[in-house]
Amino acid sequence: MAKEMILVVDDEAIVRESIKDWLIQSGYQVLTAENGEEALEMIKKQDFRVMVLDIRLPGESGINVLAKAKTINPKLKSIIITAYPTEDTLIEAKKHGAIDYLIKPVIPEDLEKLIQDTVNSIDDGVATEKERIEKAPSPITKLYSITSSGVKSLIEGLIREREVIGVKSKQGKFIFDKLNSYDELILDYDITLLPPSKFLFPAKETLLKFNVESGPKFQVVNDAKPRALVGVHPDDINAIALLDDVFIKINPDPNYITRRQNTLIIGVNCLHPASESFAPSMGTNTADSGYDLLLTDIGIGFMAAVGTKTGAELLNKYANPREVTGEEIARQKEVRDEAVTKYQRSLNVPKERLLKLLQDNYENPFWEFRAKSCLSCGSCVMVCPTCFCFDVQDEMALNLIEGERYRNWDGCVLVDFAKVASGENFRHTKGSRFRHRILRKGKYILEKYGRAGCVGCGRCATACLAKIASPVEAFNAIAESERVKEEADRIIIEAESKHNIYLPHLALLVNVQDLGAKEKVFDFKFVDGRALGHKPGQFVEVSIPGIGESPISISSSPTRGEEFQLAVRNVGSVTNALHKLKEGQVVGIRGPFGKGFPIDQLKGKDILFIAGGIGLFPLRSLIQYVLDKRENFGRIIILLGARSPSERMFTSELEQWNRNPSIEYMETVEKGDEKWMGNVGVVTALIPKVRVDIKNTVAVIVGPPIMYRFVINELKKIGLADEHIVLSLERRMKCGVGKCGHCQINGIYVCQDGPVFTLEQLRGLREAVL
Amino acid sequence: MKPRVAFFDFASCEGCQLEALNLDAGELLDLIAAVDIVNFREAMSESSDTYDIAFIEGSVTRESDIARLEKIRQRAKILIALGACATIGGVNCLKNHMPMEEALKIVYGEDAKNYDTIPTKPIDEVVHVDYYVRGCPPPTSEMLKVVKAILLGKKPEIPNYPVCVECKWSGNVCAFERAMTCLGPVSRAGCGAICVTKGRNCWGCRGLVDEPNVDSEKEILQKHGITLEQALQKFQIYCTGGEKK
Amino acid sequence: MKTSKINVHYITRVEGHGDIVLNAVDGEIEELKWKVIEAPRFFEAMLRGRNYNDVPIIASRICGICSIAHTIASVKAVEAAFGINPTEQTLTLRKLLHNAEYLESHVLHTLFLAAPDYLGVSSVFPLVETHKDIVVMALSLKRLAYNMAEIIAGRKTHPLGCVVGGFSMTPDINALKDIKQRLEAARGDLEIIVKLFKTLEILSFERETEYIALKDSREYALVNGDIGSTDSQTLPVSSYLGVTNEFCVPWSTAKYTKHKRDSYMVGALSRFNLNHGQLLPQAKNAAVELGLIAPNYNPYMITVAQLVETIHVIEDSINIIKHLESTGLKEETPVVKVKAGRGVGAVEAPRGLLIHDYTFNDKGILTAANCIIPTNQNHNNIQKDMEALVPGILDQTEDEIRRKLEMLVRSYDPCISCSTHLLKISFTNKK
Repeated sequence: MAKEMILVVDDEAIVRESIKDWLIQSGYQVLTAENGEEALEMIKKQDFRVMVLDIRLPGESGINVLAKAKTINPKLKSIIITAYPTEDTLIEAKKHGAIDYLIKPVIPEDLEKLIQDTVNSIDDGVATEKERIEKAPSPITKLYSITSSGVKSLIEGLIREREVIGVKSKQGKFIFDKLNSYDELILDYDITLLPPSKFLFPAKETLLKFNVESGPKFQVVNDAKPRALVGVHPDDINAIALLDDVFIKINPDPNYITRRQNTLIIGVNCLHPASESFAPSMGTNTADSGYDLLLTDIGIGFMAAVGTKTGAELLNKYANPREVTGEEIARQKEVRDEAVTKYQRSLNVPKERLLKLLQDNYENPFWEFRAKSCLSCGSCVMVCPTCFCFDVQDEMALNLIEGERYRNWDGCVLVDFAKVASGENFRHTKGSRFRHRILRKGKYILEKYGRAGCVGCGRCATACLAKIASPVEAFNAIAESERVKEEADRIIIEAESKHNIYLPHLALLVNVQDLGAKEKVFDFKFVDGRALGHKPGQFVEVSIPGIGESPISISSSPTRGEEFQLAVRNVGSVTNALHKLKEGQVVGIRGPFGKGFPIDQLKGKDILFIAGGIGLFPLRSLIQYVLDKRENFGRIIILLGARSPSERMFTSELEQWNRNPSIEYMETVEKGDEKWMGNVGVVTALIPKVRVDIKNTVAVIVGPPIMYRFVINELKKIGLADEHIVLSLERRMKCGVGKCGHCQINGIYVCQDGPVFTLEQLRGLREAVL
Repeated sequence: MKPRVAFFDFASCEGCQLEALNLDAGELLDLIAAVDIVNFREAMSESSDTYDIAFIEGSVTRESDIARLEKIRQRAKILIALGACATIGGVNCLKNHMPMEEALKIVYGEDAKNYDTIPTKPIDEVVHVDYYVRGCPPPTSEMLKVVKAILLGKKPEIPNYPVCVECKWSGNVCAFERAMTCLGPVSRAGCGAICVTKGRNCWGCRGLVDEPNVDSEKEILQKHGITLEQALQKFQIYCTGGEKK
Repeated sequence: MKTSKINVHYITRVEGHGDIVLNAVDGEIEELKWKVIEAPRFFEAMLRGRNYNDVPIIASRICGICSIAHTIASVKAVEAAFGINPTEQTLTLRKLLHNAEYLESHVLHTLFLAAPDYLGVSSVFPLVETHKDIVVMALSLKRLAYNMAEIIAGRKTHPLGCVVGGFSMTPDINALKDIKQRLEAARGDLEIIVKLFKTLEILSFERETEYIALKDSREYALVNGDIGSTDSQTLPVSSYLGVTNEFCVPWSTAKYTKHKRDSYMVGALSRFNLNHGQLLPQAKNAAVELGLIAPNYNPYMITVAQLVETIHVIEDSINIIKHLESTGLKEETPVVKVKAGRGVGAVEAPRGLLIHDYTFNDKGILTAANCIIPTNQNHNNIQKDMEALVPGILDQTEDEIRRKLEMLVRSYDPCISCSTHLLKISFTNKK
């Protein structure tokens, strides 16, 4: 995404420069001006998004600058800064279009936040949705008129060409299902039970087939059947646009892409909305892209909007289109306006305010209260067009030789969604799960993908037996919202044929060694000779076909040759199977995934390594790396804690570190034995024993959750800054590529944005382990 | 050596074991290639007292059943409760809702004194159970899943979410929308929501999920026109003999 | 003379638990008992207080093999109590569903449970080595029946679609067409099985008894009809109590029945003896080939009668599906109006006459129930058969005697766990 352009106008250099620095750090492009005239000249030449303006300027006054700027660039938003706030000035400023104001000295976080919110908002502060709808999206350039027999021959033509999925009736409800003839099709319906996206991302699909006779072999499974979805409402079209971003833009999902590229979308505008629908409030009752054709029944015929070349070709081939008349355009507007009045639900505040609203109400007791009668039945997420979390499982045939890896829809509201192998459940209350879902719909998806996470279709509210699922009720109940930016034109991106993200590479087990009672270290190398090419702190997904896949952090440094080591504790089905392997056997490996330790940030610094128990496993990768590039780093201090002497691992390597004169090494055990001569106690207790230069030290910590709390406490006591404390978090990671949803912490995905984080990054995440 | 498998039945309709003989030819032949069936009274005359895996169908309803079950537990390395009668008591539990004497009298009249009967128990109230294959009858795929998991040395992945999930995967119209009342929202999935898919409602034959919101379900049933008493009755058909946690 | 002591505990290859006890000293029989020791299951008591919609669901669980028969009998009893007449389509589909159960149950019994004795093995599993084709054939016939029931009622064991007033789902006519093709292909399999049976030496023993089964003027009675008997005129189903006359014996948890003689038989041989003229031609031919001629008094021939019936239901099913192909299938929603009343529903389960008798109050809640199970009615006959058989074979080895006794019981294809609920005639007045 291109960086937003900000203009900072202030006559004091120190103010200009410091604001500029902060904003550059936050990822914006910044230019400065020292007076009003200069500012206006620059506005004429550049398209700034936001202007930060001191109201007291030499020469042209701030208010004048505001007014003039508005005429040059009406879309420019302005934030006033002033050391002397008076009511009059501020009212004046607002009258001339200032969004908000800040009092000097400006606090960086406040400015940052305000800029962020301003950048995310659209337009010109239109207050009600009715006005917003009237100011609807830019007119569609290719609009044709066709008759209802034209529609009929279009559908019949499609049925001859490909599999057509249209809206049919079932037991008094509507569903998307295979059409055998045009007569089965219903174009005027309120809502379907399941969204049409289920044909792009089905409830259950096979990803891979495998065969383990003489070593594991994987085979990709894909569905390239040509299809057409007919009768898709704009809210569902918008939902598909979101799924396109999710599954195509980063880590392209080959299964989704194949289906998507082979599916035509023939939309139809909704004239009789469902009772629970609030699509206009989410801006999704219309769509100007994301379809091949979009039909509107105007009574005297149909209007057909063309969205793609294929759509135009189809229209010409079957439907006998002609130019629209003025009367038809007017009729279409009438029809659509009337449809809007039929919606019974709406947001009470502009949807743009949702982000801040949800952000500020994280601890609101509403969540637990509302979720009291939640059955955790999953109905709300399973019928949702914008939900896409999934689970992945292996199923073996009875002959134990062949099988398949498949995925099926999963949901964050289900009880075990955030449970890890050790049994800990990171979202174990109904209220926390309910909150997560609503925040995802109203905030996280928007922040991550720039699109609404809820299209207001109303399916969840209809499906929920306890009648608590409706997002609009939740949003309204919390009240206040802000606008969301409008979406731009969409095109389906042709994905390069990269390696299928779910297909594991085969890796040969070269060596196995015991480390402890339940721990072993495995040396792997890829069968095709490639290097893993990882960074310390990253993880891989290890596949044992038939059993499953498990995330394991990499325990060795990339500087140590083409083999890589995984140190693993036996806790679940996959690690259990791993522990039974013998040298010479082959497994599947995907990755490396995740953000590793911030090597650049560590260069030239003193590094304080702190590891508790098997936290050593990932940390060892970084320690080895740092030792291999010793000259790039300052002091190396290693503090290790284990439960007991017998539970110490990699003991010979620990010995080496202990004896290495350029390492300051301390170890402790919680419980000693007769032979133990060293420290006894928790690793936290070692921290006061070291003298560190807090301005030049970075602490890198890995260990169990409870250890973090105490260690961080100690580190804060000695004055270490948040951005100098680095940790690695555990979550349940299934796909490793930021799709299946299980590793979410609030709005981020651990497998992509982590597992390594600085404490500063974690401060903003309430669900994070501290 | 192939694991030795034995089938035993207590008070049951024997439908669960017979499902094993209803596998398609390929699957059944694969099964007997993977394991040795050493005891299956219904289908074979030989029997054995040495076995690794014991499938138990049926509930404990007599004093004499307890000793018999304990002996099987001693001999088997792995004990699997097969079907609702074994896992949660099943329909056999319905008789627990009236005093024993009354049930006997209704059925046997004056001859009632000849019959040994105790309140029905699912088998985990008597012995430790290693795996559960749930349902009335369970889907054969779940029985095979457990067998495969044992052979592979992994934990079988049995759902802990309600039947509603599978109903939605299948695109079913909710039973409540068809003027029926359903225990799906608190019952364990894994059956593919077959009863609702075929036009009925869920009776909870696979037992409850681990953390059922029973109060919410009762409220929902009442909202749909069932009195509290009727709602409790609905739960009784299968769900009263709960699994030990 | 010899001393023979035989105690077969939990006879194998039958459904349910029963013991055979023989104690003979010097040619004198001291004890000869067919003991049913199955756990009593109390179904009649459990049905009390249940809503009519739940009654067939619970009643189905009486038996895992004939759950379809129980479901149909149960549903018919409720309909009789409420005065509901199902549609033609429903009646047709019920027949087809019932046929599926016959196919499955008879194949199970003839090939898996009874045939091994005649082939000298103790179960079907060794036959995988010696007669693999037959085993695969039997499995695929069972699978065909299984799929047939799935298509009509959603599931074979404890079906779902068969409800009071009709069906909750409509089968896909294309799926039924596939079934028809498979049934037509099954004709060849049955020819091979008949050939196999012709080579087996069916044990010979005769004891004439009363034979009771449903009788229907229109067809070979399996789902509909009145109570027919070789010893009396045909009686309406509602007067069944006068036919069954249940009574208890101390060594059995299942009750005994009798009508005109000391005992009577129900099941395939009874049906054959009473209704053989109505069998479809292919079945009639098979009967002749297999040496089964009415009237036949050899209980060991029950198995052969079942084989004949298997051929009959295959043909009948093909005809039914052809008929449905021409009429098409409509989606019919069952309409039920409850009222107070009592109704009796009877079917011929694979093992014999099955009766469900229910009484409801005006809210559709069941207040009383009585179930007469086929095997129930055969226990007495088995006992009498054994008493007639044993004296003539006492001079044989214990193994031979034991084998003949077990095979006698097996040929009845008993379903013992179903048979253990009984009902006394006067009801206690509790809701």
